[in-house]
Amino acid sequence: MNALTITNLNKSFGTNKVLDGLSLSVEEGSIFGFIGQNGAGKTTTMKTVLGLLKADSGSVSVYGEQVRYGQTSTNRMIGYLPDVPAFYGYMRPLEYLSLCGEISGLSKGTIKAKSLELLEMVGLKDNNRKIVGFSRGMKQRLGIAQALLSEPKLLICDEPTSALDPSGRKEVLDILEGVKGKTTVIFSTHVLSDVERICDTVAVLHKGKIALSGSLAEIKSQHKQDVLNVEFDSGEAAKKLCELLHTKNVLCETSGGNVAIKSADIVHEEAEVLALLSAHKLLPIKFEIVEPTLETLFLEVTQ
Amino acid sequence: MRGYLAFAKKEFVEFNRTYKLLVLFAVFLLLGMMNPLTAKLTPMLLEKFMPEGIKITLGEPTALDSWAQFYKNVPQMGLIVVALLFSGLMSQEYSKDTLINMLTKGLPRRTVILSKLTMAASMWTAAYGLCVAVSWGYTVYFWKADALINIPFAAFCLWIYGLLLIITLVLGSVFFANSYGSLLFTGGFVGLQFLVNIIPNIEKYNPISLAGRNLDLLNGVAAEKELFAPIIISLILCVALTLISILVFNKKRL
Repeated sequence: MNALTITNLNKSFGTNKVLDGLSLSVEEGSIFGFIGQNGAGKTTTMKTVLGLLKADSGSVSVYGEQVRYGQTSTNRMIGYLPDVPAFYGYMRPLEYLSLCGEISGLSKGTIKAKSLELLEMVGLKDNNRKIVGFSRGMKQRLGIAQALLSEPKLLICDEPTSALDPSGRKEVLDILEGVKGKTTVIFSTHVLSDVERICDTVAVLHKGKIALSGSLAEIKSQHKQDVLNVEFDSGEAAKKLCELLHTKNVLCETSGGNVAIKSADIVHEEAEVLALLSAHKLLPIKFEIVEPTLETLFLEVTQ
Repeated sequence: MRGYLAFAKKEFVEFNRTYKLLVLFAVFLLLGMMNPLTAKLTPMLLEKFMPEGIKITLGEPTALDSWAQFYKNVPQMGLIVVALLFSGLMSQEYSKDTLINMLTKGLPRRTVILSKLTMAASMWTAAYGLCVAVSWGYTVYFWKADALINIPFAAFCLWIYGLLLIITLVLGSVFFANSYGSLLFTGGFVGLQFLVNIIPNIEKYNPISLAGRNLDLLNGVAAEKELFAPIIISLILCVALTLISILVFNKKRL
């Protein structure tokens, strides 16, 4: 079953068309990476899913139930972590979670047990300060706790790591990875390494449309163009190899002591290169196959 | 219902922890004490500080003078403090995005408005009640003999007007993302009431009479029933403005 289905969603702010017939679906139980440049429309999409923004046209459904603007009952299935979560600064973490729990309709006992469990999970258990004194990272972690409090079927996180330092980022990603299986996670970001770390399916939003989508492995294999990098300690050796490869009709580029050979059938080229190296006594200091990264794919589709 | 109670509790906690409760009660307590004392002390002070040779004759202050101070100070200073304290009820939440977490947890939007109104109305009632009680207590203490009629009813009229003002503030606050907008809106609403008084006979129905004719009630110039129409109109406005606030907020982009 799909946790989220978006069909032909359009949204403009004035003359600026942010979403242009966006369609996507997120399978239950997956961690879905929603990638796009700043201003690509990620937050707009998420706010529409939450009923906070009115779409010009198109439909959104969560677990088969239609999302309505303004008042939407689908929100009871969703936990939301905004990009900059805002809290009542005069409250303490437990008070805040208790308020959230009561609003979600949880029982007193559940709220207490769940709050303590979540605060421990996000590392704020012993922190009983008022939220106003919290750092950005602490707020982000409390944001995750409030989003997970009612054990939502769908967790939507809007750029949860973009403003965090490396340790904060790692913590948040670990937490998100930890809920995998129990909760479907939609995770928007422009930090590609985060996506590669925890997501199993991704979609790239570009100019209001999905430019690329599918499982991470699938996307990489579809756009597979491996690169073989051979590095020498001198530019001369690199040039020589390149000349030899040209005679065999293999495309290559040199820069300094480095030779980059691009091919769809890299295994064949690899054998060829090894044979040439051995025959001409060219000794590389490094010999590696570079797989396409999400970054190269992202740049490819957004240019 | 649970959401309503939880959010209303949050509103009370917020009002207390942001020191607004302290300010509100301090101001109204002070006003309550100040009215009878000003009435009592003004003639004495004038007498003491008059240059020699000049003599003014002032009548003995009465309980009516004390209430005259009350109905001069509370509608002016008191209600201005109320307006300032409650003007940011919604706009604070807009500007800080704090409602997002609440609404995405399924808190109905109307509950937000109703909880806020509950808190504001009860705070106004308590602070105003305190002010009336203190003022009344001192007045009775200083001028036991003066019998005045309609004291509770006159106080009730101003209470209704305060309530209407608070609901107007909330509506203004729903419209505008900053508290100045809400204050301006409420100021405009009050200004409009002054303005329509130019039209003959409209005063009989104008809610502003509830804050202006209180003294007439005490000295018998106005009868209770003369204020029934403004009371009913104010109550209708209270309900209507609350409904409009909810409808507007339901469609508000957050």
